[in-house]
Amino acid sequence: MVVKMGGKPALLLGGLLVLGLLPIAFQDNPRILNILSLSLVWGVVVSAWDLSIGYARVWSFGHIAFFTIGAYTTALTIVHLGIPPGAGILLGGVVTAIVGILIGLLCLRLTGVYVALVTFGLHIVLPILISWRRDYTGGDPGLAGFPPLQLGQYIFSSSAPFSSYYIILGISILLLFIIYRVINSPIGLAFVALRDSDGFARSLGVNEYRYKLIVFGISAFITGLMGAVYASFYNGINPRVLRIPTFLLALIMIMLGGLGRFPGAVIGAFVITFASEFLRPLAHWRFVALGAIVVAVMVFMPQGLMAIPERVRPFIRRTFGRRHVEKEVPKV
Amino acid sequence: MMIAEDVVNLLIVGVTLGGMYAIMALGLSFVYGVTKIFNYAQGAFFTWAGYIAWMLLDRFDLNYAAVVIITVPVMFLFGLGYEKALMYPLRRLPNWEINVIIVSLGSALLLGALAFALFHVAPKRLPYLVEGSFTLYGFLITRHDVVTLVVTLAIVCLLVLFLGKVREGMAMRALAQDVTGARIVGIPTDRVYGYTFGIAAALAGISGILLAPKVLIHPEVGWLVFVRAFVIVVFGGLGSFKGTVVAAFILAMIEAFVTFYLGGVWGIPMFILVLIIVLVIRPRGLFGTW
Repeated sequence: MVVKMGGKPALLLGGLLVLGLLPIAFQDNPRILNILSLSLVWGVVVSAWDLSIGYARVWSFGHIAFFTIGAYTTALTIVHLGIPPGAGILLGGVVTAIVGILIGLLCLRLTGVYVALVTFGLHIVLPILISWRRDYTGGDPGLAGFPPLQLGQYIFSSSAPFSSYYIILGISILLLFIIYRVINSPIGLAFVALRDSDGFARSLGVNEYRYKLIVFGISAFITGLMGAVYASFYNGINPRVLRIPTFLLALIMIMLGGLGRFPGAVIGAFVITFASEFLRPLAHWRFVALGAIVVAVMVFMPQGLMAIPERVRPFIRRTFGRRHVEKEVPKV
Repeated sequence: MMIAEDVVNLLIVGVTLGGMYAIMALGLSFVYGVTKIFNYAQGAFFTWAGYIAWMLLDRFDLNYAAVVIITVPVMFLFGLGYEKALMYPLRRLPNWEINVIIVSLGSALLLGALAFALFHVAPKRLPYLVEGSFTLYGFLITRHDVVTLVVTLAIVCLLVLFLGKVREGMAMRALAQDVTGARIVGIPTDRVYGYTFGIAAALAGISGILLAPKVLIHPEVGWLVFVRAFVIVVFGGLGSFKGTVVAAFILAMIEAFVTFYLGGVWGIPMFILVLIIVLVIRPRGLFGTW
């Protein structure tokens, strides 16, 4: 039987329509527009991350590091080498993919929690490298003020929220479509096979090493590209993205949406990004609140938002439906 | 001559640091060995133990003996409550491995942010357990370091006895080896999980009291200690008692030399480098079993 693993087309199309029309309602509110753009950036990043931890069950804890590498590659090449912003963004993705594959090579023989340890190692080393070469990277204040990407008359920068939103939306749709295609391709099937029954999958000739490198490559590329987009959207980058709260909030976006339930992570990204931005007035207590949200999501909704329909459906059927159509819902 | 003196001084630093790291890392190692949960909140436990000790000393004017008598049981109960409130309900779900990782990371964030909101960023300084120092063969040794080392060794011995001779400790070892087997012979797994977390938190409390006079307590200090404990546990072999103690002393020794010759910022990168080398060459660590 062919298993439809991810992506509910109706939900995707409806979501796209809302995302396309929403900014028109908030045309005069640059703050909301920028939060929407930020949510899209995180939506793509966590979907790529979900590809790794949700579908391939490769416990990468290095995706925020990949994001930062993409952002810094763009910033460094634009500032120091003066290459055009568009090329800088692409380069961000490519360099990150290379780093991702190298990390993947380190992790080939490792499983489970050990992969998490190595990739988190990358996350811990990065801020130290950044402060070590502060003559290039700008240290703690980071790099800022480099020229924005320009597409014709449209400027891509947080100072031009409306046009930037649509540029980010375009990039996000493209990348989410790639993720969707990967999930529903033989590659995605191999990921899930190795996740659910690795011994059996390998006995059927699924090459574990090859798919591990593929998942690191693809998801690092997308994450790095989004990091580059983020840097060029804010015309700058600093090492603060590497702090623990960012890492955790990104993880909780996946969990809130539902681990390994494709468009879920994007929904999680919108909810968490908006929550995080609107909690700013709490100052010091903001991170207390965010920590509480993280713990509460895991305790009360460990399967995520995308699991709600499949939990509610049998209940509705039992209450309102005819008796004899009770069908066994396969457990995920 | 100077070099020889430096080396001896660094060895002394390494041994005392190693003892404190060992206590911290053992908490992490116990929890992983028994419950297969990697408790990212262990560092936050450390931070809070430091703050509790500081509050008792500074705000309530208690002496150190009272501080130890209050802090350690409080931390034990804290660890027990943490397990019962958060880990216990999650363990019975599918995907529980990642869920508990995220919950423990979330708790670490919550506890760190709470410390930041309540005590602010200014670091708190705790006095030494015993003030003063003496010279031995021309080397300056602080009394605090001697006390630390004695306490560390005593705790390691007590833990060996506990794991080897006491029913509760033997139950922990049984669970670490085989959960199903332990259940069959009637070991109450949920209770063992509870006090394992309690012991880990109490160990974080002890190392918080011992280490706080040297590192200053601030809301993020737990992470710095946690990263070290984390590498020590992996290097020694996840869940291995002997490996953890040996690795703690080896890495503390390396750290003492690296920070002396290359500078303080290289402490953490050195740990990560060791981590990567260990995981590439021998992923199960020094004494690991899998």
